[in-house]
Amino acid sequence: MKRSFKDDFNMMAMLLIPIAVAVNLVGFQLANVLRLPIFLDTIGTIIVGVIAGPWVALLTGLITNLINGIFNPVYFPYALTSIAIGVGAGYLSKYGFFKSVPKTIISGIIITFIAVIVSAPITVFVFGGVTGNTSSLITAAFLASGQQLWSAVFSSSFITEIADKVVSVLIVFFIVKAMSDRYLSKMNYGHLYMKRNNKK
Amino acid sequence: MKQNILLQLHPMTKFYFTLFLFAIVLILPGYLFSFALFPVLLLIALFAGVLKEFLNIVLKALLSVLVIIFIMQMLFYPGENVLWGWGIFEIKQEGLLYGLLLTSRILAIGSAFILFFRITEVRDFVKSLEDIGLPPMGAYVVLSTLQIIPEMRRQANTIMEAQKTRGVETEGSVLVRAKAFIPTLTPLILSSIAGTEERAITLESRAFSAPVKKTSLHQLTKSNIDRALPIIFALIVIGLLVWRFFF
Amino acid sequence: MTAMIDLKNVSYRYPVSDDSVLKNISFSIEKGKFTAIIGNNGSGKTTLCNTIRGFVPHFYKGDLDGEVIIDNTKITDYQLGQLGEKVGYVFQNPFIQVSGVKDNVFEEVAYGLENLGVPVEEIKVRVEEVLKLVKIEYLRDKNPFELSGGQRQRVALASIIVMDPEILVIDEPTSQLDPIGTQQIFEIIRLMKERGKTIVLVEHKMDLIAEYADDLLVMHKGELVMQGPVRDVLADPAFEKYQIQYPHVTEIALQLQKSGIPLSFLPIRDEELAEALNRTGVAVHD
Ligand SMILES: Nc1ncnc2c1ncn2[C@@H]1O[C@H](COP(=O)(O)OP(=O)(O)OP(=O)(O)O)[C@@H](O)[C@H]1O
Ligand SMILES: [Mg+2]
Repeated sequence: MKRSFKDDFNMMAMLLIPIAVAVNLVGFQLANVLRLPIFLDTIGTIIVGVIAGPWVALLTGLITNLINGIFNPVYFPYALTSIAIGVGAGYLSKYGFFKSVPKTIISGIIITFIAVIVSAPITVFVFGGVTGNTSSLITAAFLASGQQLWSAVFSSSFITEIADKVVSVLIVFFIVKAMSDRYLSKMNYGHLYMKRNNKK
Repeated sequence: MKQNILLQLHPMTKFYFTLFLFAIVLILPGYLFSFALFPVLLLIALFAGVLKEFLNIVLKALLSVLVIIFIMQMLFYPGENVLWGWGIFEIKQEGLLYGLLLTSRILAIGSAFILFFRITEVRDFVKSLEDIGLPPMGAYVVLSTLQIIPEMRRQANTIMEAQKTRGVETEGSVLVRAKAFIPTLTPLILSSIAGTEERAITLESRAFSAPVKKTSLHQLTKSNIDRALPIIFALIVIGLLVWRFFF
Repeated sequence: MTAMIDLKNVSYRYPVSDDSVLKNISFSIEKGKFTAIIGNNGSGKTTLCNTIRGFVPHFYKGDLDGEVIIDNTKITDYQLGQLGEKVGYVFQNPFIQVSGVKDNVFEEVAYGLENLGVPVEEIKVRVEEVLKLVKIEYLRDKNPFELSGGQRQRVALASIIVMDPEILVIDEPTSQLDPIGTQQIFEIIRLMKERGKTIVLVEHKMDLIAEYADDLLVMHKGELVMQGPVRDVLADPAFEKYQIQYPHVTEIALQLQKSGIPLSFLPIRDEELAEALNRTGVAVHD
């Protein structure tokens, strides 16, 4: 069974992806039902980044947008954003940025920047600056007040993302805290978050 | 339903057709062709017997986006030729043209993809991707995701109901409503991941990682049309590119 | 007869547990034998099954001492996929025990064979046969997610039997089934034994174990405290110590014995009671 070590990690990570994608979708739906002003649609992707690392999270982000795209193709181009968020969360976790509440908030801010930097060009080039969600209204207001297109898109996207991402990473922080050592021990980055320190 | 020629095409053929539309919409200048494509897609949907769902999704997903994009371009696209003005708002010819171009393309490409997923079972599409080299793990993840989503939605509703009966507020101020979010999502996630260990064992017990080439009860067949169409699509795209850039 | 499963001084600790869950366990099971593992909750039965299947330590990690030998080959010398063909494993929880990617029971049962690369025509024949054997033909078009617990347990068993492994490790396959369903599962296991399979079963239902199984392994707090032919283990007064149920008839017989009625031997199957009492001249009426 020489190849099993690697394979088993992959298998557990692989099985996490569908759950995480569903969490993204259900999170969004819940936020809607509860009429919250934020999306909460990347919680699954960030969780995967934190406990399973950037590459598994990349896949999670990609699949989330592909599946959402089946019913709304506007999601397809934004797959890049989801991917970037996943990879970002993965690297932040690797360097210990999800280990305490303050650090987690910093991660949230960094992830916001990642999301904005990747999604703004998509919004501008593919959709001409607006896609019909809440941030479009803000973009329109900025434009009407005389701002340039790019800065209007960047700032409106930042405003709508920052609360969402900071709340999301905090939720992720507490969910990961609640995970059992038994589960975490089978995840690539799980040892970072286990309650008891293990010899191996 | 299945005797329909369109539905019987190989998923890859349908996918290449979608990419083909994507390509020509981007290659051809102007908005007329792109707008003209939509009625064609409607006809295909009608012929495939999916008109109603197709229209439904196009309206839900694209209509508002298109209207907003169009208005924004008319109002804010930089240009000189003012067609009509009202206070600080001016509609310029450049904006109108760009608005039409952008919306025509988004409509054409967006509805092409919507149509693709109306006339193709995702399961078949994944199988066809597997046939051309998608690793079994990738296929597993996508199919399993499709099964898990409705399951998790149901569980989320159950938990929400339970929360309500236990007195967790799902009405009231934003803060109050936000507080209902975490006790719903957390148990959902924790109970789902608790099962992955056993799921991994199940898959291993079913020889998921056996070092042999898998077979499949689910076979897709390619007809001659399925072999010919992609070549035709490619030739047309190449022809259009040559025409666009050399004449 | 050669040993099919051979454990020598096996100890194991899960990576996140403090104590050893298996403590210095040694036994060997001959080819073609039906061995039942019994013991109270948390005594390590499932862990022992995982060890035979090789998921301990390869999947669960942790420290494993001693040797596990399956069909004369050390478990560490098997390739990952190989052992899967040799040892079929039906585990405890029927609710998670589905592939998660199949729409109907027929395809679900076929899944293992697809993964083994069996030709499609042969798959169809084998699945048909197993559906009939396990009596779930009527479920063939049902979605695996919509089945009851008992139906799922049958599907899980069918999904492994169809792969035709030499060894079957089955962990509490009847927890969701009624007495008739349970009896049927034991009949299937008997059939597997007749086909020469080596069977390891974890079960609580002692009446059926006494009726069907050859040998018994008794687990207690991670130790293998008793082993041997079913009849010998149950007849050993030490068995009482572990607070595991006797078969009903044995229980009754022991009660009778306590109240002064002598037994010629300890009955473990219903039909033996009369004989056990009769030999001493006591008349029995039904
Ligand atoms: N994956 C695991 N990680 C850590 N500890 C575990 C794990 N699985 C089981 N244990 C612990 O090991 C001990 C033995 O568990 P095991 O499941 O083998 O018992 P069992 O005899 O099968 O019990 P049951 O009758 O309830 O099925 C228990 O204390 C249990 O909590
Ligand atoms: Mg058990």
